[in-house]
Amino acid sequence: MVGSPVLFVAIPLLAAFIIPLTGMMWKNSVRVIPGLVLAFMFFLSISLMGYVNEHGTIVEVLAGWKPPIGINLVFSPFTGFLTTLMTFLGFIVWLYSYKFKRNVDFEPSMKYFMLLMLLVTGSVGIVLTGDIFNMFVFIEIVSISGYGLTSFYTRRDSAEAAFKFLFMGAIASTFLLIAIMIIYSQLGTLNIADIAEKMPMMDHKLKVLSLVFFILAIGVEAEIFPLNGWAPDVYTEAPGPIGAAFAGIVVKAAIYASVRLVYTMYDFSGAFDLFIIIGLITFIMAETTALRQDRLKRMLAYSSIGQMGLVMIAFGIGTKEGVYAALFLMFNHAIIKSLLFFSGSYLVFNKKNKYIKHVNGMGKYLPITSVLFTIGAFAIIGLPPFAGFWSKLAILTAAADNKMVVLIAVILIISILEAVYYLRVVNRIYFYDKKEKTEPKKPSLNALVAMISLGVIVLVIGFYPDLISGILDRAAADLLDKGNYIKDVLTLNK
Amino acid sequence: MEKYLNILNIAIYGSAVLLMLIGLYGALTKKSLIKIVLGLSILDSGVHLLMIAIGYLKDGTAPIFSPGNEDKMNIMVDPIPQALVLTAIVIGFGVTAVALSLVIRLYRHHNTLRIDEIKKLKW
Repeated sequence: MVGSPVLFVAIPLLAAFIIPLTGMMWKNSVRVIPGLVLAFMFFLSISLMGYVNEHGTIVEVLAGWKPPIGINLVFSPFTGFLTTLMTFLGFIVWLYSYKFKRNVDFEPSMKYFMLLMLLVTGSVGIVLTGDIFNMFVFIEIVSISGYGLTSFYTRRDSAEAAFKFLFMGAIASTFLLIAIMIIYSQLGTLNIADIAEKMPMMDHKLKVLSLVFFILAIGVEAEIFPLNGWAPDVYTEAPGPIGAAFAGIVVKAAIYASVRLVYTMYDFSGAFDLFIIIGLITFIMAETTALRQDRLKRMLAYSSIGQMGLVMIAFGIGTKEGVYAALFLMFNHAIIKSLLFFSGSYLVFNKKNKYIKHVNGMGKYLPITSVLFTIGAFAIIGLPPFAGFWSKLAILTAAADNKMVVLIAVILIISILEAVYYLRVVNRIYFYDKKEKTEPKKPSLNALVAMISLGVIVLVIGFYPDLISGILDRAAADLLDKGNYIKDVLTLNK
Repeated sequence: MEKYLNILNIAIYGSAVLLMLIGLYGALTKKSLIKIVLGLSILDSGVHLLMIAIGYLKDGTAPIFSPGNEDKMNIMVDPIPQALVLTAIVIGFGVTAVALSLVIRLYRHHNTLRIDEIKKLKW
């Protein structure tokens, strides 16, 4: 083993607080250190994935207290897959924003990278931890750094968006505490595996009550329909790369948390139908709202919410194929939506309100960025040679296996809407004339490298989906094997 | 004695729930940003009181194993809710601080604290 899972939390947290100090000596270290840390984390999680495939789940015990008393970190095929995805995206976001605010002054980029490190720490922590109170702490780390990043630009209406986010996040965190206290007062434990084992002993009413509080709390971060009022504003007002970080890292962590609750902790099957229903409502509402947006980033934000609804539906199907499809979709969405946010921010760079009409005729001025945006748009709609096709196919086959005909029909109809609003933007890029006089901003080299590598991944996965289907298969099997999770954590005598 | 304990229980749990309701009411209905932040922090306090009440034990002792104290295991108060409350208080403090700094930013940007006059962004 190269390192232990605890490094995923310890190193970025340390880096976040050490860069102000090193920044005093060497200003560039503020930007270099986060990149090194994220690259190391990505490398570590790939090598740990290799170890896990051979030797089985790693359970890391912190401070010598064995579970169920102490806190433990679980690096299984499922959590490992998400950790790898998040650290990779974190690295890509860093690469894209390496020159962030370079010409303004030293201060902002330091705050930016500190908060970005905290965001990654919290998200990876949510995925790895095996303790619900620890999960609460990590969710708060993510939320607070999220508020900071949202209100980053002082000139925009960012404080308003951040306050909305904070209001929902603060109420959500109290609900989460209440849910945790209900569980603790009934079962006397905070360890997820231990709770899962003792869950049948809990009073049925309190069980439902605590699940409702959990879903309300985590649903805010996971962008579930009635709780996602903050999302479009935050995506619009936050700096461009942070939109990608939210869509690719934070929301994935929150989806993980809700899935872990329903699949592992709670033992009633009605929760799966709940997933399908809220997923469907989220999907339909978000995609229809995206259709009538006139700002590019808002459109992408609604599309992101819609995709999360689709992920919830896939998890709600509950079979192995469903989980496989959901994980595939999470992977694709993280890659493709980041690509869209990255290239989209260059297409409307320096425009006042970032309207969709600002992309008119950009195909001539920013050829590479436009092609990358087009690849992303085609991929997220699900056109065949791109990665998005396989995940949508997987969801439809999973639904077809369970004879959910209505579900298939709804997904296909809404996908047409999705195609309409994405193709409308692509159409404007290539077939409209540029009216404005302002010169479009050319992407810097590092941003170009980040976008091209994402585009290449979209194409490669599109042609060879087998490259990751093995990993996804193992991850899906791991999530569904609840008994194994409990056994791994509780019978720990190493 | 039993009855007295019951009343005490109801009083503690009742006041915790009452605090939470007051906080929620303030956060959801007030128009002033400062009052909303106050509401959020009252809501937080209510939850903290609830957590402490869960770990409370009449005539309990501190949960420390020391020589001569080994037999007091079942009258020790539960330390975990207290540890959790400490963490939650610190987090609540952080959230309140961030919220107030955002309120200052909003006031400078819009020159008002009334939430119904700050609505540039909409769904």
